[in-house]
Amino acid sequence: MEIAPSAVEDEARQQVEEEALEALVGQYASTLYRVAFSILRNPSDAEDAVQEAFLRVLRHRDTLGEIRDHRVWLIRIVWNIVLDRKRRAKTRPETDDVAELARVLPAEGLSAEQRAAAAQHHAHVLSCVDRLPTKEREVMVLSAFEELTSVEIASVLGITESSVRSRLFRARNLMASLLQHSRSLR
Amino acid sequence: MNSHSHDGFDLKTGLNPGSGSSEAETTLRVIAGLPAPEGLEQRVNASLRHAPRSTSVLHWPAGQRSSWMQNTWARTAAAAAIVFVVAGGGWEVYSRVQPAQPSSAIALPPVATHRGFSSANAMRTPRTLNGTVLTHPLPDTAAEKRPTDRAKKPLKKTAAKPVAP
Repeated sequence: MEIAPSAVEDEARQQVEEEALEALVGQYASTLYRVAFSILRNPSDAEDAVQEAFLRVLRHRDTLGEIRDHRVWLIRIVWNIVLDRKRRAKTRPETDDVAELARVLPAEGLSAEQRAAAAQHHAHVLSCVDRLPTKEREVMVLSAFEELTSVEIASVLGITESSVRSRLFRARNLMASLLQHSRSLR
Repeated sequence: MNSHSHDGFDLKTGLNPGSGSSEAETTLRVIAGLPAPEGLEQRVNASLRHAPRSTSVLHWPAGQRSSWMQNTWARTAAAAAIVFVVAGGGWEVYSRVQPAQPSSAIALPPVATHRGFSSANAMRTPRTLNGTVLTHPLPDTAAEKRPTDRAKKPLKKTAAKPVAP
């Protein structure tokens, strides 16, 4: 049977797409993982989210050429996946977060006690972050990523840059009062 | 503990945060800066390789391109045959189904609102069964039973009327 020229073209195109996708994985998998982990706070869940994000990209690989900023586009995909998972997942007890944080936090030069105290502190702060209103919390979490500008945060969340700034301002004020309140209760 | 709250970081927006918010941002930056696990890219690439591909258009085999389906007259004939079969089936179904007969119900005039029962201005009353026809008269059993019934009944005690002088 004669091989049609279109079949050869398709194969070549598929090869190019696969290479482009592999390049995207190599370049952005780590960033996407950190974004996913900042919300899910579980390594395996975060990795699953990253894999799901790239599977979605694979399904829509024909549109890869039309994307202007792959990084923001990918972060937006993983962000939606993560929020969806978070919404569906049952809330885990805070003790799980503490144990998980103690395991994953960098611990150079820290004793076991210091590490446990740091994990406890971070878990407490994160529980206060969780109590923020959704809009403010989302902006605050994304603003912690050094590589994301406020314009990019606005693009990920689908809002304007001024909204990002005002939400971040509100989030900081709320966070300050929440932590102050929790300290006064102790 | 406080060592975690005063890690230096520059604010992107230039806003002046309180100490609580800087603590929160420090924590969030620690979380955001956690390294990805080893071999993440390899695992993702492996899962992409084994993932089912999206739907694509299957090409008709090249060897059969000049087959009968490529001829215009054959396509037209096939289309005509399909139309003929569909139309014939439809006609067969249509011809078997009889049109519904007009109903023979008599429209009744509106019922007058009288109190109690009435014939409801019925034009036609239904036939009722005739009663049992007797060939010879029955003996009057009711009349015979009457005294016995009376005898069984307890006598009514009545006060004796005073006799007029």
